[in-house]
Amino acid sequence: MDEAAQAQELVRYILQEIIHRPGTELTPDSPLVSSGLIDSFALVDILVKVEDVTNLRIPAGKIQAKDMDTVNLMLATAKRVGKPRKSK
Amino acid sequence: MNPLHCNTLTEAMLAAPPDQPFITMWHDEDEVDVVTFGEFVQMARCQAADFVAHGVTPGDRVILVMPQGIRVMVSFAAAMLVGAVPAIMAYPNFKIEPKKYRFGLSGVSKNLKARLIVVDDQFPDDLLSYVECSGDAKIVRNVVMQGGSSDWELPELPSDPDRIAFIQHSAGTTGLQKGVALSHAAVLAQLEHLSAAIRLTSEDRIYSWLPLYHDMGLIACFMLPLVYHLPVVMQSPTDWVMRPGSMLSLITQYRCTLSWIPNFTLQFLARRVSVKERPNFDLSSVRMLINCSEPVREQSIKEFLTAFAANGARIEMLQSSYALAENVFAVTQSGLDPSGLPGRVWVSARRLTDAHIAEPVEAGSNESICLVSSGRCIAGNRARIVSPEGVELPEGHVGEVAIQSDSLFEGYYNRPDLTAKAKKEGWYWSGDLGFCLDEELYVIGRKSDLIIVAGKNLYPQDIEEIVCSHPRIHDGRAVAFGLFNPDLGTDEIVVVAEVEHESDIQHTASIEDAVRNAVVAELGVAVGAVYLRPPKWIVKSTAGKPARSTTREKLIAEQPELRGA
Repeated sequence: MDEAAQAQELVRYILQEIIHRPGTELTPDSPLVSSGLIDSFALVDILVKVEDVTNLRIPAGKIQAKDMDTVNLMLATAKRVGKPRKSK
Repeated sequence: MNPLHCNTLTEAMLAAPPDQPFITMWHDEDEVDVVTFGEFVQMARCQAADFVAHGVTPGDRVILVMPQGIRVMVSFAAAMLVGAVPAIMAYPNFKIEPKKYRFGLSGVSKNLKARLIVVDDQFPDDLLSYVECSGDAKIVRNVVMQGGSSDWELPELPSDPDRIAFIQHSAGTTGLQKGVALSHAAVLAQLEHLSAAIRLTSEDRIYSWLPLYHDMGLIACFMLPLVYHLPVVMQSPTDWVMRPGSMLSLITQYRCTLSWIPNFTLQFLARRVSVKERPNFDLSSVRMLINCSEPVREQSIKEFLTAFAANGARIEMLQSSYALAENVFAVTQSGLDPSGLPGRVWVSARRLTDAHIAEPVEAGSNESICLVSSGRCIAGNRARIVSPEGVELPEGHVGEVAIQSDSLFEGYYNRPDLTAKAKKEGWYWSGDLGFCLDEELYVIGRKSDLIIVAGKNLYPQDIEEIVCSHPRIHDGRAVAFGLFNPDLGTDEIVVVAEVEHESDIQHTASIEDAVRNAVVAELGVAVGAVYLRPPKWIVKSTAGKPARSTTREKLIAEQPELRGA
């Protein structure tokens, strides 16, 4: 999956599995927590999904809320701190 | 374990055999930090020299804002080695709401008036300005650890057990956390009683994902192994939440025997660890999983046992404890009586709400609920149940838990006002509600969460459990609270719950009827208002549990009729 496809997959996941509000518009640059679209606990589920689509292991302790506010920021963060996954 | 023959925590630490394994800090499969006691002490000595170079003197407060790991533990020990008073604060993570974090950071650092504030090199710059520094205080990043000279002599400190050893913060869910100052004597007394209660041996090995800024993490999983020279296997709370199964695989890999957990962990593991992962776990090494810091729920215990029976989970290992930062840690511990299990009692739900009395009834009978005890008082501790007027209540009567012990705190740091409210005539009023039965303490909730409907006492978790038993309500996603209804002159129960699927919203009328009927049938009290919401609506705490007060605010903001118009 290239980066654009990863971003699209995350947008789809967040809309369908997290937000559940028909008619919500979301782009890879939409603020999520700071705009109140999602609560911060949902970030755990989203982060696990980011690991899946990027095939990286993300050390959660090295991430701050501001690194996770948009889908594009999440992917950039994953690239910066993520490590290749050994096993699923 | 043998009794401790030392006056201070640092004396106990320095007596450890250098080759004995101490901390295994697990970050990831290929990133595990390990130290022996000898290495740990050596690192602490180096850092102590560094602290002295920064002007830290005995009695100075040193605040540590560092991620979970060996470094923060070394810094903590180093501060104690120079007679300073360390306090660990939560490290920011992606789940913490920045506004709330900044409020806590500035409030706590202001109150402690620390000499030195140690943050790690990754600490976000934008948060640094919220650290309140008084006078000549310093903030330092990334203190040198191996850089200090090893031939540097530790300062001579009086071997005085009444010196303050450290400050731990009480886990307040609302308002500012309160700093609890604890002496070496209080901590050592607690550890001796606790180790006897859990029959600690040199074969024990502790597993923990608990944060070190909380008493369960700091006392049970750091001070206890430090003083008794035991190994501890740790990971950070965020790493655990991301991969809940890692707790079970670490217990399996390191053959851990003891672990302290808040109640929700049992359900969280049962629901989030996939069936595919489960065959890899072997829990046969575990002596005790100690349920602590939340009311113990029979339902959670059952769910865990069902999920992990094939992995060696046994009812005998599911123990409980009632612990408070103000008491250093444990007041009670289960498994002290011959049965070896926490007390379980079925009581009439109606008598509990109407008369505030836990009246035993036949197991499983109509309108009854099963309550699990937190065990008996450990040595040196006394608990009593008191009425709001301060009168001691007889067995089975629900009241506020008050405690007295030889490890009780002197007071909240720099807060005589709060101390005076909480401590009366040598007894600490915990704010928790419970009752005693057959010498066992049953804790049923926080006084501040209690819903009082026309003199009936209702505990939100009982209502929430009934609501969640409806098949179309998402399990664990209901919040009940009381709202004053001026027309009735009393509280009314308000329930908000998430439906399982978006499409269930079309059936709200039938779900609502069923929920109302179930609550009346079990508790004998009618619900004032039921609000059903789509999935993911309820506000959750960082631990993933419904956050009652925030959810309540969210609902009131959406529903003008709840604003007492």
